[in-house]
Amino acid sequence: MNGASPSTNVFWPLAVLFGAAVLLVALVVLLSWLIGPHHNDQATQTPFESGVKSYGDARYRFPVKFYMIAMFFVIFDLESVFLYAGAIALRRVGWSSYYEMVVFVGILAAALAYLWKSGALEFATYRWRQPFGQRGIWDERRGFHHHAHHNEHNSEQPG
Amino acid sequence: MEWSLSKVNTPPAEDERFSDAVRRNIVMAKLEDLVSWGRKNSLWPFNFGLSCCYVEMTTAFTSPYDIARFGAEVLRGSPRQADVIVISGTVFRKMAPVIRRLYDQMMEPRYVISMGSCANSGGMYDIYSVVQGVDTFMPVDVYVPGCPPRPDAFLEGLIMLQEAIGTERRPLSWTIGTGGVERPAAPSMRDRKRNDRMRTRELRDPNKLEGYLDHRLGKRG
Amino acid sequence: MLFEQFGEAAFVGQSTVDRIPTLWIGRGDTHRILRYLKYEITQPYKCLYDLTAIDERVRKHRRGQPDSDFTVVYHLLSYERNADIRLKVALNRNDLKLSSITDIWPAANWYECEVWDMFGVVFDGHPALRRILLPPTWEGHPLRKDHPARATEMGIFKLPDKQQEIEQDALEFDPSWWGMHPGDEDTDFMFLNLGPNHPSVHGVFRIVLQLDGEEVVDCVPDIGYHHRGAEKMGERQSWHTFIPYTDRIDYLGGVMNNLPYVLAVEKLAGIEVSERVETIRIMLVECFRIMSHLLFLGTMAQDLGQMSPVFYMFADRERVYDVTAGIMGERMHPNWFRIGGLVDDLPEGWEALVREMVDYFPARLAKYEKIMLNNGLIRERTVGIARYTLDEAIDWGVTGPGLRACGLHWDFRKDRPYSGYERFDFDIPTGTNGDCYDRIIVRFEEMRQSLRIIEQCLNHMPEGPIKAHHPLTTPPPKERTLHDIETLITHFLNVSWGPVIPAGECSVGIEATKGNNSYYLISDGSTMPYRVRIRTPSFPHLQMIPLIARGLMVQDLIALLGSIDFVMADVDR
Repeated sequence: MNGASPSTNVFWPLAVLFGAAVLLVALVVLLSWLIGPHHNDQATQTPFESGVKSYGDARYRFPVKFYMIAMFFVIFDLESVFLYAGAIALRRVGWSSYYEMVVFVGILAAALAYLWKSGALEFATYRWRQPFGQRGIWDERRGFHHHAHHNEHNSEQPG
Repeated sequence: MEWSLSKVNTPPAEDERFSDAVRRNIVMAKLEDLVSWGRKNSLWPFNFGLSCCYVEMTTAFTSPYDIARFGAEVLRGSPRQADVIVISGTVFRKMAPVIRRLYDQMMEPRYVISMGSCANSGGMYDIYSVVQGVDTFMPVDVYVPGCPPRPDAFLEGLIMLQEAIGTERRPLSWTIGTGGVERPAAPSMRDRKRNDRMRTRELRDPNKLEGYLDHRLGKRG
Repeated sequence: MLFEQFGEAAFVGQSTVDRIPTLWIGRGDTHRILRYLKYEITQPYKCLYDLTAIDERVRKHRRGQPDSDFTVVYHLLSYERNADIRLKVALNRNDLKLSSITDIWPAANWYECEVWDMFGVVFDGHPALRRILLPPTWEGHPLRKDHPARATEMGIFKLPDKQQEIEQDALEFDPSWWGMHPGDEDTDFMFLNLGPNHPSVHGVFRIVLQLDGEEVVDCVPDIGYHHRGAEKMGERQSWHTFIPYTDRIDYLGGVMNNLPYVLAVEKLAGIEVSERVETIRIMLVECFRIMSHLLFLGTMAQDLGQMSPVFYMFADRERVYDVTAGIMGERMHPNWFRIGGLVDDLPEGWEALVREMVDYFPARLAKYEKIMLNNGLIRERTVGIARYTLDEAIDWGVTGPGLRACGLHWDFRKDRPYSGYERFDFDIPTGTNGDCYDRIIVRFEEMRQSLRIIEQCLNHMPEGPIKAHHPLTTPPPKERTLHDIETLITHFLNVSWGPVIPAGECSVGIEATKGNNSYYLISDGSTMPYRVRIRTPSFPHLQMIPLIARGLMVQDLIALLGSIDFVMADVDR
């Protein structure tokens, strides 16, 4: 009678390990709650921002270039993961796997060249490329017409 | 807590007794002493400074005064990770809420060194925009006088704080203990230093640099 | 020429001890006259050097001056003429309004805010009139004569939780007040407090950044966290006991801060000091210049990420402290200059001490040059970063190395020699681009020139008395007091009450480590000054930050803040 299937047989130590990990973490947290000092002054639960109150929420629409960097990382990082997998199998499969990998890397290199050329890797935006001496005048491309007006008003008396 | 250091490869003496061998190899201490010892020798200061005393404080942090000898070279930028805040400089009215906020955000155990006359009592600035002493709104552990105190004086204040931390008794947990930190009475520095001061018979003539020069040159030579 | 343009009736002249042309003008004329002086006159007065006010309500010695309760003073400087002009406007206590000149000089912005803060004069047309030196919740105008000076006259300071909440709310940044948009159509901007407590802002300085990712869209500097009321303190101290307060205006400057004050008092009193006093003063001032620039170098490198120079720099400062502390007795705030001379003579053996320092430094500076100035990364981060043009610098009142880095060969030590600088042989380093790197280079070379000056002081120290032979020298030489009764009485009064400096006005500026530092003293013939106006160099430098910072990335802003080399006590006094 094969009561427990092979899969359950193999995995019960993992369950024990998982349980032990959870238990250990719970123990540490409980101990630190028990032993550690408790203090809650007026500003303790507020975020630190050089000693004054911060403005606004931490959740906001940050510029898309950060997201793009994350995407590029994912793509090229997974590329290297596949390369690792290919490297392990290289001996057994032989030359055809090597040619596959070359093609794979080539496609991604073409993608990289496109990204480079199209300016997606530029981290500093247009402002950095502003010619020297033209302060406070925003690039039309970003649609800062209202901002330009604000700066006109403000350009002589900033601060 | 009693501890001593010996070199690793020294062979034991011929007639070494068992108790000496034990003392060379094992340290025994009460838990609270061990914890205090660890706390006092790794005080992490908060990277905070207000005014002229801050420059002398940073002089104490760097060579040649070197606060790393006292285990306190780990300057933290965030108050949550800092143990001691040194109010170095004048406490301005506009800055008082900021200091208070930073102190609130520090995690216990936290200590305050008030450095310089302005932080101790307002100093020579009895003026509308200066708070007359940081202890009007914050508890202070050590006061370091001077305007500004020499880096050596600041380090002496740090040593005094370490001494105070070494002898204090904190409740291990909020579930045990009577609550509150117990510290022995602060020693009178005047009494401590009296003998040394009384022994001074000759004061160097300020118009002659002879002794001054040798001491400095010798130190660097 | 002014009289031709506007007619003589528009002006009332006033003679001052410092012989700067001082003219009283009418309230309605300020704009026209100032605009003329800035744009139309030949060799125009392009720099707004100072803008301040005087509370004249209890002043006694005002003969020849128009009636005025509050006087607003404009001090202009012309680089081409090498001349100043001072314009005063009389205001009545019930009508403290004046039109703002921020459309002529952008630098007037913070100066006018300060006058509003300290005196209560409202400037029409000012874009953002607000308290800058005092907390936003403050009531009253401190530099008025009826405002209490001492904290002990104002009740015990308490900070209960509720008060803390109110104060923190007042300090909170409100972008809409500044007309700042919270975002554009694609992204939101982050408003970050590079706050009063931050290692990179060099003191208690707050700059609120409007960030688009990592780039600064706009920023607002917020000062006042270091306001020690030195100007009000001057009105409560005798001429002599105010000297320690001057030390602490630029706390890296030490005796260099005593110098303009003491020079101004000596001018008012008519005291001439001996050449020995002048040479000693110069020697010590240049020592402090070296120390201040060393600190700048070290902290600049640290801001850019190079951690070692800070340690070398502090050790080198100790070397210079050995010299200054050996001579003067105290490290950081020696307050060693006195009205009419110095505290005491140089001690025996001082030559060896100074010689040692002068021999030690050139090799050390060469080392700094190698590790810092020729370092590829430092150059990458500072060359071409945060540039400003010479016109912008003059418009915004920049002085000192920041101005010289733009190419203008202007230094008070050469152009308006004081305290004997005309006898010394030294150069003025200037830059060309006005970027961070040039500012670093200018300061570095200034250290070399300071060493040259110190060596000349060492080699050619003249003999002479340490205190001037004048009744107003304070404290008077003690040897004479035991000889005759008049000297004894004068000595007693001078030491206990203070010297009575004759009535008058005097403004003396020097080339301090950070720029041009000026003390404008008004004496009413009593033992205490009537008004002490301290024109500090770092105040206009900080005003200029938003202009340069827009479009910079955060790390370049940090390089900019480091290269301006300001000290908060210099800004807020």
